[in-house]
Amino acid sequence: MSGLQLQALLPIITLSSLILIQMMFIAFARNLRLTVSISVIALLLTALSFFPMVDHLPISATPLIQLDGFALFYSGLVLLGALMVTFLSYDYLRDQGERQDEFFMLLLLSCLGALILVSSNHFASFILGLELLGVSLYTMMSYPTRGLFTLEAALKYLILSGVSSAFILFGAALIYAIEGKLGFTELAGMNHTSAASGQFILLMGSTMIFAGIMFKLSLAPFHLWTPDVYDGAPAPVTAFLATVSKGAIFALALRLFTTTGLIDLDPLLRGLSFVAMVSILAGNLLALLQDNVKRILAYSSIAHMGYLAVAFVVAGKAGGQIMAMEAASYFLFAYFLTTLLAFSVVTIMSIADHEVDTTNLGDYEGLFWRRPALAAVFTATLLSLAGIPLTAGFIGKFYIFSIGVAAEAWLLMAFVVIGSGIGIFYYLRIIFAMTKAPRTDVKIEIPTASGWVAVVLTVSLVLFGVYPSPIIDLIGELMISFG
Amino acid sequence: MTESPLWPLVVYFFAVIALVLIILGLSSLVGPRSTMQRATIEPFESGVVGIGSSQIPISVEFYLIAMFFVIFDLETVYIFAWAVAFFELGLFGYLAISVFILILVVALIYEWKSGALDWGVKKRVGLRE
Repeated sequence: MSGLQLQALLPIITLSSLILIQMMFIAFARNLRLTVSISVIALLLTALSFFPMVDHLPISATPLIQLDGFALFYSGLVLLGALMVTFLSYDYLRDQGERQDEFFMLLLLSCLGALILVSSNHFASFILGLELLGVSLYTMMSYPTRGLFTLEAALKYLILSGVSSAFILFGAALIYAIEGKLGFTELAGMNHTSAASGQFILLMGSTMIFAGIMFKLSLAPFHLWTPDVYDGAPAPVTAFLATVSKGAIFALALRLFTTTGLIDLDPLLRGLSFVAMVSILAGNLLALLQDNVKRILAYSSIAHMGYLAVAFVVAGKAGGQIMAMEAASYFLFAYFLTTLLAFSVVTIMSIADHEVDTTNLGDYEGLFWRRPALAAVFTATLLSLAGIPLTAGFIGKFYIFSIGVAAEAWLLMAFVVIGSGIGIFYYLRIIFAMTKAPRTDVKIEIPTASGWVAVVLTVSLVLFGVYPSPIIDLIGELMISFG
Repeated sequence: MTESPLWPLVVYFFAVIALVLIILGLSSLVGPRSTMQRATIEPFESGVVGIGSSQIPISVEFYLIAMFFVIFDLETVYIFAWAVAFFELGLFGYLAISVFILILVVALIYEWKSGALDWGVKKRVGLRE
């Protein structure tokens, strides 16, 4: 193994060894503040360890890991998300009693899984990253002792996630049975080479993998777990699930299906368009019926994953691949900022409550009079989710729209427009609730760390909504070295 | 791959269903019928009479020990796999397994220090009051 390859593994090695160091600190000097500091240092050092290799991309270290601009961008997103969630969970867990330290170790482990996923180029590292991400996430969900709902959420996610992993494994086994290979690059163009009987099994295998991935991304019709899990899980963990977990899996799906050329399989692409349309419609329509902020956000994430799937469909059409990947990356970036911000508001609202999270729409009534700043921040995220101009969400949706028009996918575009139209209604409903007369005068404390997270995210939400070209240029530069 | 005929599979499928139906049907037609009596719902007609329920509370330490056993036992599987190919894997394999064992040792120290291996009353290490 050469020095360059070792360098490519450096982020993973850094994060793993810092997790071990953190574990020893927890064992010998249990102190929540210290543990969280180590978490923050670990995330920052991991981010730094990416820099030496920027000029040498793409590097493939062992057959398992492929580091290119694409992986770099998504690694950055994952680390950003994990950092924000670390701050949020510190405030959330601080007063929840003893033994909260291990939560932060699990968070780092989960983040390690996500890092492996985004740079994975082989089915083995795919499964490895997926399980590392997932298993830590189940534990994180049920970690705070807040009533039975956290347990319910963790159990539901555990069982359904296990089933979807089984689907992915079986699909990979079917592909292996025909091709005898597991690396994504080695599998390139396989759907053109094999015989007709093999074609069918390949299609079966890739459909199964696809079903598993769609479950993890909560695309309809595989979305049934989403509202319950979002609602039951503690707010910071929901933020992690909605951003880091889904983002990493989306990055992997994009790499898997573009490098192997599976995206060219016509039935698969048609199925994907169907899934995108159903997700947009189901997410937006079902969100109308909810009276719970977390459930609204859950359904809105289903719809957003539907918009992302549109980019995926366009990536499968001839000539649209690079553009679609850029659009998907910007959309996901905006989605990260917005969702993290939304859940940081929910976290701040829920900290005082020790039984369940504060999520009923009624609890948000009069927020404009009780805490104007918090309400303004929440309004900004909701507008960004709805895709109103001057927010990052608008640019993301605009990007999706422009690639859809360029690829002439009119039916999909119609669904995006209808979905966005319906979406505005329920986002505005929350804003309307916040302007009503307040029910109570109980003061909402805004803890320092979460407060800063909200400030940083709001500033970047507006900044990249008004002036998105730095991120767009960065994405453009990084996508060149894909593959 | 030669195409083998499909009909034996179909015949087999129906034969399985027929067999199950015959067994169940015959035993319900020919078998003796018993009315509900004192010992009907007991597991054995002769032998020791069952006492109490099988669902008794078991100390949580047993589960912990069982979990640790499974974790460490499974990890010996990987060490075995390395040991079989010791010479083929060379120095790189040796380094890799050393890292693996180091992680295991760290985990063991963590378990020990956090009191997971104590039986009975926990020492409550490093907890805030």
